Amino acid sequence: MPTKQAKTKKLAMEVKNLSFSYGNNRILQGASLEIENGKITTIMGANGCGKSTLFSLMTKNLVPARGKVLLYGRDICGMQLSEFAKKVSIVHQYNTSTDDITVERLVGFGRTPHRKLFGGCREEDMQLIEWAMEVTGITSYREREVAKLSGGQRQRVWIAMALAQNTKILFLDEPTTYLDIRYQIEILNLVQKLNREFGITIVMVLHDINQAIHFSDQIIGLAAGKVLVKGAPGNVISAECIQKLYGIELGVTEIDGKKFVLTV
Amino acid sequence: MKQRNRDCGQDNPTLGWQDDIRRKKNKKVRAALSFLVITVLMALLFFAAINIGSLQVGVTGLLKGLFVEYDPNVAAIWDLRFPRIIISMLAGAGIAVSGVLFQAVLKNPLADPGIIGISSGAGFAAVLVTAFAPQWYFFTPLAAFLGGVIAFLLVYCLSWKGGLSPLRIILTGVAADALFTGLASAFNSMSGKDMSGVAAIVEANITQKTWEDVSTLFPYIAAGLFLAALFLGECNLLSLEDKTARSLGINVNTTRICISLIAVLLASISTAIAGAISFLGLIVPHIGRILVGSDHRALMPFSALAGAFTFLLADTIGRTAAAPHEVSAAVVMSVAGGPFFIVLLRRSKKYAS
Repeated sequence: MPTKQAKTKKLAMEVKNLSFSYGNNRILQGASLEIENGKITTIMGANGCGKSTLFSLMTKNLVPARGKVLLYGRDICGMQLSEFAKKVSIVHQYNTSTDDITVERLVGFGRTPHRKLFGGCREEDMQLIEWAMEVTGITSYREREVAKLSGGQRQRVWIAMALAQNTKILFLDEPTTYLDIRYQIEILNLVQKLNREFGITIVMVLHDINQAIHFSDQIIGLAAGKVLVKGAPGNVISAECIQKLYGIELGVTEIDGKKFVLTV
Repeated sequence: MKQRNRDCGQDNPTLGWQDDIRRKKNKKVRAALSFLVITVLMALLFFAAINIGSLQVGVTGLLKGLFVEYDPNVAAIWDLRFPRIIISMLAGAGIAVSGVLFQAVLKNPLADPGIIGISSGAGFAAVLVTAFAPQWYFFTPLAAFLGGVIAFLLVYCLSWKGGLSPLRIILTGVAADALFTGLASAFNSMSGKDMSGVAAIVEANITQKTWEDVSTLFPYIAAGLFLAALFLGECNLLSLEDKTARSLGINVNTTRICISLIAVLLASISTAIAGAISFLGLIVPHIGRILVGSDHRALMPFSALAGAFTFLLADTIGRTAAAPHEVSAAVVMSVAGGPFFIVLLRRSKKYAS
């Protein structure tokens, strides 16, 4: 028994034999994987491989047809959304807000799952909002309307909102889309900082193979609704693996002991 | 890396934090002024409305007649004009807040209980009760609420195609509105227009309203506004993407249903007593957003005040414009609201594409 306990403690989430289909279109076919505590795990794969569906299933936006998703050993299907939101925060790929809301107010929305009916803004809420803005580097424009921000700044605001939820696990769905390369790297550096400095377990979906390799501790490669590869990027990434995941032959080279996929 | 984070704040060199603070202050001043102005206008209009008509007593005469000694003129005003004024205000507040709620729920600034057929559905149900079971007069609000719910479900289901397109809701709503308005008018005509209760609802005539109608309307509007106030935070959160609101622990669908029911309640009850009014729930919140911003904590109370003001203004204009003949507030609202709606449609790139 103690060994099993030690194992569940190390695992933030477990996905067991997950299946899902839209009508006759089977998207996921018995996917199993583990998310380790305190690690950055990146889900990757070609378009239509089921990674968005997997992401939705793991974040309670879809209900699995078969299999289950465990959060610290508990099935998330039986969890209230508000309870889940206290443990897991999510930054979705596409976000909108009213134009005139200020950065600080929007970040404050992150405290929603912790608020009580008729409970105002408590000291703890204020501190966490401050902290979230500080960490993401948006404090200097806290009073600015979100509509007046650049894409990179706005993405930081959404991450800050998720941080204000004060959860141990953070999901990000393609956090770098719509951003040019400078902001992509900035966001990924921020994500890495959240993991290294604050011990937040990160699960994200990334399109860019090299970014996935360099910013992740664990890679989960999906193809045709199944988990094809999982493990540390240094171990699993190879020309053969890329061929299986994306169906294209690309060279893989090593510079200073780090792997790079030649994407052109 | 930290340095890079800080740089990010200067992406837009024209905007410093001083500008942010200044803009925020300006907005606050504008919102506070708007509240002040609408409150003063409301008070002025209230006293004006009391004094406009064949009987005129003046403010001092009115206060004297009400609190000091009996005055037949004041008594007549108290019995005839006060109920209609109060009903105008209650219904105006109800319809405007209903509009705010529908716009939040449907994420559609063009949603209005009149345009999307809720008011006419409620009105038709009220007509049915008044025509066939006048002894159940007491249940008219309840029937209107049911009628409103049915109209809402109808429009909601018929517009649903894997999502709710703002334009599709408006189009389906216009059709539902035409249907229910037509049915109610048909009833009115078939009954030879001799049923004053039916005609009053169909023609949105509030001339004959009594204190009894006020006491029927008041508890529902008060309850509706109170419930709406409980959902201020949720209304704000619904402006986010559904997925994002869910990630904050909000059960989006349940919240939508609750808020919709409150909106239907407010619109239906107002319609049952004051008749179907178009555009009020559209114009008032729209102006509110410009003046006090889109945060519902300010928008909702402002819309309630401005809605009360606008309805009373429409009613007062209606009974003075062609005195001694009366034009109903609904007609005034349609005449003023139609052009306004077109301007909105033309200006809104997002929703009319």
